[in-house]
Amino acid sequence: MPEMLSLSNDPILFLSVMVAKILVVFIVVVLIVAYATYAERKIIGRMQTRLGPTMTGPLGLLQPIADGLKLFFKEDIIPAQSSKFAFILAPMMILVPAFITVAVIPFGDFITVGGYLVPLHITDLNVGILYILAMAGLGVYGIVLAGWASNNKYSLIGGIRSAAQMVSYELAAGLSMIAVFMLSETLSLRGIVDAQAGSVLNWYIFSQPLAFCLFVITSLAEINRTPFDLPEAETELVSGFCTEYSSMKYALFFMAEYANMIVVSAITATLFLGGPAGPFAGPINLLLKIFFFMFLFIWIRATFPRVRYDQLMFMGWKVFLPLALLNIVITGAVIVF
Amino acid sequence: MIKEFIQGLSITAKHLLPGHTTTVEYPKQKLEIAERFRGLHRLVPDHDREKCVACGLCPTVCPAKCITVEAGEDENGVKYPKVYQIDMLRCIFCGYCVEACPVEAIEMTGEYELASYKREDFCFTKERLLK
Amino acid sequence: MAKKETMTINMGPQHPSTHGVLQLVLELDGETVVNAVPHVGFLHRGVEKLAENRSYHRALPLTDRLDYLAPMSNNLGYVLAVEKLLGITDQIPERAKVVRVMMAEITRIKSHLVWLATHALDIGAMTVFLYCFREREAIMDMYEKLSGARMTSNYFRVGGLSLDLPEGFENDVLEFIDAMPGHLNTYEGLLTGNKIWQKRTIGVAKISAEDAIDIGLTGPALRASGVDWDLRRDNPYSGYEDYDFKVITRDGCDTFDRYTARLDEMRESCKIIRQALDKLQPGPILADEPSVCLPAKKDVVNSIEGLIHQFKIITEGFKPEEGEIYQGVEAPKGELGYYMVSDGTANPFRMKVRPPSFVNLQALPQMIEGSMIADVVAAIGTLDIVLGEIDR
Repeated sequence: MPEMLSLSNDPILFLSVMVAKILVVFIVVVLIVAYATYAERKIIGRMQTRLGPTMTGPLGLLQPIADGLKLFFKEDIIPAQSSKFAFILAPMMILVPAFITVAVIPFGDFITVGGYLVPLHITDLNVGILYILAMAGLGVYGIVLAGWASNNKYSLIGGIRSAAQMVSYELAAGLSMIAVFMLSETLSLRGIVDAQAGSVLNWYIFSQPLAFCLFVITSLAEINRTPFDLPEAETELVSGFCTEYSSMKYALFFMAEYANMIVVSAITATLFLGGPAGPFAGPINLLLKIFFFMFLFIWIRATFPRVRYDQLMFMGWKVFLPLALLNIVITGAVIVF
Repeated sequence: MIKEFIQGLSITAKHLLPGHTTTVEYPKQKLEIAERFRGLHRLVPDHDREKCVACGLCPTVCPAKCITVEAGEDENGVKYPKVYQIDMLRCIFCGYCVEACPVEAIEMTGEYELASYKREDFCFTKERLLK
Repeated sequence: MAKKETMTINMGPQHPSTHGVLQLVLELDGETVVNAVPHVGFLHRGVEKLAENRSYHRALPLTDRLDYLAPMSNNLGYVLAVEKLLGITDQIPERAKVVRVMMAEITRIKSHLVWLATHALDIGAMTVFLYCFREREAIMDMYEKLSGARMTSNYFRVGGLSLDLPEGFENDVLEFIDAMPGHLNTYEGLLTGNKIWQKRTIGVAKISAEDAIDIGLTGPALRASGVDWDLRRDNPYSGYEDYDFKVITRDGCDTFDRYTARLDEMRESCKIIRQALDKLQPGPILADEPSVCLPAKKDVVNSIEGLIHQFKIITEGFKPEEGEIYQGVEAPKGELGYYMVSDGTANPFRMKVRPPSFVNLQALPQMIEGSMIADVVAAIGTLDIVLGEIDR
């Protein structure tokens, strides 16, 4: 049994492996973000009897690159009356938490590098879930800040909506997660994955179906996807918090939305579907699960209308929160007796 | 409730299958134009000149006042339009000129790609209309 | 106690869901609308004034551009009004009448499809938008085949029709109305039973029957408030009395009922179109009224009488006797009325249009006061307004 690679036994190898892992994960996430936009346009296009992008490269495959280039070279407009510092800060504040959440997600078991064991995750925090919740909480600041800094009434309403929505849905999402780590008895994501190892039936989706449904729905609300896309609600608030944004800053918002989708899919896969467990190599299993959830989110977007603000609040506080609490009580009762 | 959600999802999923797209990829593919399509005008030629006799009915009936006709006489004393010009920026493609013409000298073609960079390009003179 | 302040927000004229260039000045308390003032006129082109400087014949294309989603209904109202002014209503040939009814009903479906598409899009269901436009495209193709234009049809004429039906047109129509109920079921499958759609529409933008009558609402918006009023049945024109159809009413007075009412209206329209197809007999398409109608093209080309006739009508026009009339038709959006005054010359002395959208828009402030921003777009959608008609 080889030793676990750590800073004390081979510092240089450890650091280079760490940097390599971060780079690989970052690049993979960025690539998925880019091609998620393409996939979304293609899938929704097909569902709506259209074609989606076809002109840029074969089958329109270069479209994300063209979009990126276009946004990169566009004029960067900062409204004269806006609060400039906050206006520039907001898109970063929304993108960074989205990307760094990926750090705690395990994407495989162990590999051997230079005679040492290397775990396939960037870091394994013993409070991994709290870290995820904290990052999700940070993300909302970006939206509120964007809404406020734009000095636009539509943006402001979008920002306020988003704050209210995130607060109420994070509660239900957090509570539905509690049932999971009541079973796993750990807050570390690696621990949760290990607790689900063995057979497919050990996956928490089977022992916690209610928590799974609640988590998927509330996370849809947390990442502002249809039917809960009220902060940007194209037809009501024009574009909500990102109305005034253009150029690369808008691109950052756009990337953050898709990065959030990936993160949420990855978390759902980790918590309920055994993370990297499955028939193929670990990272591929995880990717397949992520793609499944992303397809689900896109599919839902193509089908459902948008809920109204007060109905959203009603559902969050009076339906999902009691259900999540009930689920905790039932889980607790089952564990005790 | 769940049943209706699944019904909705199945409708969109059904359209995801191949064969449901209705897109016509415009510059590459084009729709077939109906026979009666009211597009760019065309002056009908008769032997070596236009059929038009410059009677002036089309500018009279034109609701947008986009047709300019100036009559002239050739060496045989036959009337012909010295100037015949349609301002496509004013034209509303109502088809009244075709309906009014007593000698069937003007017709409307299926040509609809009329965009241009210069204002002058929208003035269709007799020579351009005869093509 | 803290001072309570409201926020004034300009919704439109550049806004994705004000259906064109409607401006709404909303006073908001949080997300709740305290006060709403619609501002219109951004699309004013002076259609009524322009008509005064044109002969009756040349004013017809102007009406295409009122409610540009239902051009044939506008044409129909106009030609009926002018025919009434001329006193030739009885002389319209049967075939022309049947084709007018058929096209008016196809136009109703066309207009309702755009309504459903944009209404669903406003509420966030964007797929319905494209499905509706797919079917609308079929209607546009029919329009193109029949009149030569996809939107501004300019097809009816005072005294009848401009052209006879092209070959195979009846088959196209039949195919379309055979397929239409299935398409309507698809839309319903995506919306009617959907809990989110119901939540967004039931009880939203309510207007009681009394208020609706006071304001002067017409069309589906009135009928969904439980008032059984349809000009096609109650004041028939163009032979509508010979068709068997139901007037769809609902009692809910809300957005959801207006939605189901319009969908059922499309089904009824399909029935009317089917009856019209059965009634269609070969025959003349223009009234035998030489002082009003243009002669047949072959007469113009071949005979000197025809040529003189053509010149006379086009240069002089026709001159109705002095007088004034009002003719209303049941356009897709409600009662479209033309009030025409003639002073005995070839141009109308006055053409006043009573656009249904303009009158229906008056209900908007009452519908949305006290509701949320999201309901504002639902209310605009459910009224089915077209700014081309409101601003004229």
